[in-house]
Amino acid sequence: MADHLLQVQDLTVKFGGLTAVNRFDIAVQRGTIHALIGPNGAGKSTTFNCISRFYQPTTGTILLDGVDVTNMPASNMARLGVARTFQNLELFGELTVFENVMIGAHVHAGQTWRDALSARPAEVVEHVEHLLERTGLSAYRHARARNLDFGHQKLLELARALAIRPRLLLLDEPAAGLRNREIAALDALLTDLCRREGITILLVEHVMQLVMAISDRVTVLNFGTKIAEGTPEDVRNDPAVIEAYLGQEMAHA
Amino acid sequence: MSDKTAAMVSRSEASLLAGWSARGIPLAQIALLALTAAALVVLPFVVTGYVLYIANLLLVFVVLCLGLHLVIGETGQFALAHAAFYGIGIYTSGLAGNAFGWPFPLSMLLAGLIAGAVGVVIGAVALRMRDIYLALATFAFGEAMQWVFLNWDQVTGGPNGLRISPARLGAFEILSDRQAYPVVVVMALLMLLLTIMISRSRLGRAFRAVRESEVAAMAMGVPVRRAKITSFGLSAFYAGVAGSMFATFSTYIHPDSLGFQTTILVLTMVVVGGLGSIAGAVGGAIVFGLISEILRQTPSYQEIIYGLILIVFMMYAPRGLFAFIRDKTGRAARG
Repeated sequence: MADHLLQVQDLTVKFGGLTAVNRFDIAVQRGTIHALIGPNGAGKSTTFNCISRFYQPTTGTILLDGVDVTNMPASNMARLGVARTFQNLELFGELTVFENVMIGAHVHAGQTWRDALSARPAEVVEHVEHLLERTGLSAYRHARARNLDFGHQKLLELARALAIRPRLLLLDEPAAGLRNREIAALDALLTDLCRREGITILLVEHVMQLVMAISDRVTVLNFGTKIAEGTPEDVRNDPAVIEAYLGQEMAHA
Repeated sequence: MSDKTAAMVSRSEASLLAGWSARGIPLAQIALLALTAAALVVLPFVVTGYVLYIANLLLVFVVLCLGLHLVIGETGQFALAHAAFYGIGIYTSGLAGNAFGWPFPLSMLLAGLIAGAVGVVIGAVALRMRDIYLALATFAFGEAMQWVFLNWDQVTGGPNGLRISPARLGAFEILSDRQAYPVVVVMALLMLLLTIMISRSRLGRAFRAVRESEVAAMAMGVPVRRAKITSFGLSAFYAGVAGSMFATFSTYIHPDSLGFQTTILVLTMVVVGGLGSIAGAVGGAIVFGLISEILRQTPSYQEIIYGLILIVFMMYAPRGLFAFIRDKTGRAARG
């Protein structure tokens, strides 16, 4: 039996009369990179926001490592080892790069009032420094987040999410707006995070170059319904996918 | 003190200073701190009672500003009920002294805790709203509290005001501004220290995360609502303590001085000093407190001048007086 870190069962999300996601299932295997793709408006981000608990699904169940988290508040997810990034960057703009990542380590900075008032636990600072190093942001640690260029802001969001020490990393369009060179670096970083550190990654992405290069498994959504699932190779050759989605891309490729 | 011990003291001070500057605190700052400390110690021996009264009042404003700094500057929640919590602090410590003869340290603690508790309850309701709605809800609470102060005759003395009996600790009674000054200074410094600790801590980071982006804060595991309520409660606690500090050197309180103008005065201090910076809050309290005391002679112009100052700052120094000075001097130093 496959070992699933995340299982979403029978997920339906309705906004008024509009059904954004319809009876959707997805199971993400532990230690893999799983991509969720589909044309604009397919319901990818909605699904993503349900999993990270920012939206409440109309019906359906979300299981994290077998535990039902369907009614969990969003602010509890970090503690359960679920980290996310945002499609339209949500950095702490006026704060420094260092402080942004320190806040990512919030759930590891202690629970008691004494911990809450202690400035910077050495072990947390060490981890933050390591993450800055790894994402190439060390030189910018004192810069305000809003003053970074777009590529670095994306990396900062990733570093901040990693400070949670996630089991499951949810990435909402991590490659959007990046240059080719930056995408190649992201490709290497994500693969490394998954293969070497065993972090399970679920990403929503439009950039096929990245999806096809790093994903172990791809799920395709269209009009809120799953139309295909499999290895990148399977999905690439699936007639329904080509018609609904890749067709447009491939025609231009 | 013999020469030998003096030499030992100065040597240990020197090594302490070296340790600090090694930890990255520049000598200029240490010098400034030492000067301020010396001034605070020497002040009561060289000035008149009136000047000490002003000093006490400015220190009360410092604590009020630090409280508002926490909720507005750090957490980004525009709460406008500071005068109400200040009033709760004054009446609580005044009544604890008047009616029960409590020693003042105890009534100070009680004043802070009661104001803080009311703050938590009000915050739990008001902080469901944001921006202008939060400002309006807290404004309404402030007005309601002023009405309570004005009409709960049996407790607050209503429109006659309340005579506050001298603060006491055992046989010791505070009868003058000069006697109150050490207490007020120590309390202000304690509250300043607490603010610095909070700001540097995990709690302070959580507050700033909420200010910068609530969704991102939530994704990082910060319980956003609880952080807001904690911040609001703390700010009310500060205002309550400020009220009890006021009660140590003041003999009388009237609800007229606990209205929206007082909230706006404190807000102006925090904004003029520089939103989001502790130094700004302290500096704003002192500079603007002095200005407002000078303007007391000309009440008809007071409001106009406040308004002008606010507008000028919004236009030319939106990040506050101290950021403005730092930018200017920094640029001058660099040539």
